[in-house]
Amino acid sequence: MSPTHIQSIGLLIDICAAAILVTAFLIVSSRNLGFYIRLFALQSIFLGLVALLVVIGYGEMHILIAAVLTIVVKAVAIPIVLTKMIDRIQVQKEVGFSINITVSLLLCGGMVIVADSVAQSILAVQEGGGSAVSRVLSVSIALMLIGLFIMTTRKKALTQIIGLLTMENGVFLSGLSITYGMPLIVEVGIFFDILIAVLILGVFVFRINKTFESINIDALRSLRH
Amino acid sequence: MSTILFSLLIGTPITASVLCAVFHRRRILEVISVTSAGVTFLWATWLMSVVIEHKTISSPEGWWYADGLSAYIAVIVCGSALVVALYSVGYLRRQVRSRNVDGRQLWLYYLLLNVFLFTMMLVLISNNLGFLWIGTEATTLATALLVAFYERESSIEAAWKYVIICSVGIALALFGIILTYFSALHVVPAAGNALNWSSLMVVAKELDPAVLKLAFIFILVGFGTKAGLAPMHTWKPDAYSEAPAPISALMAAGLVNVALYSLMRFYILVNAALGDGYASTLFLVFGLVSMGMAVPFILLQRSFKRLLAYSSVEHVGIIVFALGIGSPLAYFGAMLHLLVNAIAKVLLFLTASNVRLAYKSKIMRKVSGAITVIPVSATFLIVGVFALTGWPPFGAFVSEFTIVSAGFASGHAVPSILFIGFVVSIFVGFIYYISKMVLGTPAARVTGGDADTASLLLLGVLLAALLLLGVYIPPPLQQCIQNAAAVLMG
Repeated sequence: MSPTHIQSIGLLIDICAAAILVTAFLIVSSRNLGFYIRLFALQSIFLGLVALLVVIGYGEMHILIAAVLTIVVKAVAIPIVLTKMIDRIQVQKEVGFSINITVSLLLCGGMVIVADSVAQSILAVQEGGGSAVSRVLSVSIALMLIGLFIMTTRKKALTQIIGLLTMENGVFLSGLSITYGMPLIVEVGIFFDILIAVLILGVFVFRINKTFESINIDALRSLRH
Repeated sequence: MSTILFSLLIGTPITASVLCAVFHRRRILEVISVTSAGVTFLWATWLMSVVIEHKTISSPEGWWYADGLSAYIAVIVCGSALVVALYSVGYLRRQVRSRNVDGRQLWLYYLLLNVFLFTMMLVLISNNLGFLWIGTEATTLATALLVAFYERESSIEAAWKYVIICSVGIALALFGIILTYFSALHVVPAAGNALNWSSLMVVAKELDPAVLKLAFIFILVGFGTKAGLAPMHTWKPDAYSEAPAPISALMAAGLVNVALYSLMRFYILVNAALGDGYASTLFLVFGLVSMGMAVPFILLQRSFKRLLAYSSVEHVGIIVFALGIGSPLAYFGAMLHLLVNAIAKVLLFLTASNVRLAYKSKIMRKVSGAITVIPVSATFLIVGVFALTGWPPFGAFVSEFTIVSAGFASGHAVPSILFIGFVVSIFVGFIYYISKMVLGTPAARVTGGDADTASLLLLGVLLAALLLLGVYIPPPLQQCIQNAAAVLMG
């Protein structure tokens, strides 16, 4: 492939990475559970696109399956499961915050800066500053931090699941960016684990709803010490 | 031959899981589960004899690998699983009789017990660090529904917390593994092998130190969460107190050691790569923090299952501390402690379950005079507590004494004094609560009797083993422990 092609693919990867970061910020600023799920699906589509671009641009064929799995599992299957879940339990769709949106966005902006400096220090070991894909490392670390932030500051059980999945997306993107993904069989195993985890958490959401009459995790308070 | 042995080790529990999924009759489920645990235990001892002879074995394609360390922990895990499977038979029959458990729950229990054993074996024989991760995450998933087994509000809350906290931890560990992979990508010739522990060890010196240091932090936090190292231990008291007692026992004696095993693998790698005290210092600090953190929660405790959970936090701390000291003597102590703590934890969780079934409560205040109500279990309880808290003549005394001596010998005087202080405070807390439970006058309306004779005999064997290990370590066992310690030396 010619250098100009490589360059334009690098540009496309950068655009997708930026889009992934934007979806993460939109999740943080969203008040509605339905948006959470749709934004997560969108984020996963962009993640799948990054993986596809790596396949096209760098000839790493083993990522093709991981890219397809990202779209099938994270952008389609998991969002369907989660949407069915909130429809079935007819939860109040407003998300409660422990930190308001403006402050949340500012904090997440700070996290992006922290993530970038961590990423630069990791990439410093590579001569020549790395490829177009390794630039994405800072986005991936930011995504992990924002995922963690969503989990700790948003109060619905479902928002914790979305936070966890956002974190997982960040980890996947980091693998993609610095190592062109893990060996295929490992990636497949990881996807399998994530899918099972979401199903199990889904079962718990049903049961929490049944026993606590809400999926607000503030109700989970009986166990202390 | 290695391929056959590895296939048997994970194939047996997989086959048992599939069979459990198909059959629903209680007797068949019991036979499958006990046989599977027993047979896997036999394969683990076979693995042990092979690594004694050949030091390491790996499969031709390089995915599976075992040495003295993995075989030693595999034997402990399978042994615990066998005891737990045997005890589960009587435990579940009793629960079915008192209508706490229905047929579907019984089926799910045995199915997941076998899956749980499979996931632990997967971690222990993986050479590929990616598989190691997949297996570890799978242990969480296999046990999640078991923690929520009784479907009470509190058990669902505990299971939720357990899955969320451990999944976050393990996601961070995955990032650590990716960083390790990254540090090796330029030095390991075939990229597919860059995730194999055995190939990483060969090139350890060439791995990038800065990236590896960062990777180790994520690994420590991630697998430390699974092991229940403070301050990432918060899921542990909830999960242990809500899960059925045999499952808590297997989590405390099996899963904890499997998570520690993953930590040890990376610890060996990082020590070989950096050759300095970076990882050791982190281990010393986290070990002491875990021990110290457990003290107040043990001194002010209401439920005896939570008491045992905090004791598990303490013992993970003891082992990690011993690893941090890093001398051959300390490694020997750590490996011995791994074994005696596993036996003591199984003994006490199962005994605690006898007490709970008799008194229908896990609140310590509501239990008194156990010695007259359930004399056998009460004796096990009080003697077991002495064994657990490292009192002579029991095994834990020998291992803790070895660790402290190693600490002083290597010049870690202040940490070692802290270590003694924590161990003694925890002993005092335990004796205070347990003696109140065992002695005193029993409450008038204690309805349940003691467990069946077979279960009590099983617990008696565990107690005898603890006593034996305090006075005499048989030469074959000594050799196994030394082999495991030798792997830790790198």
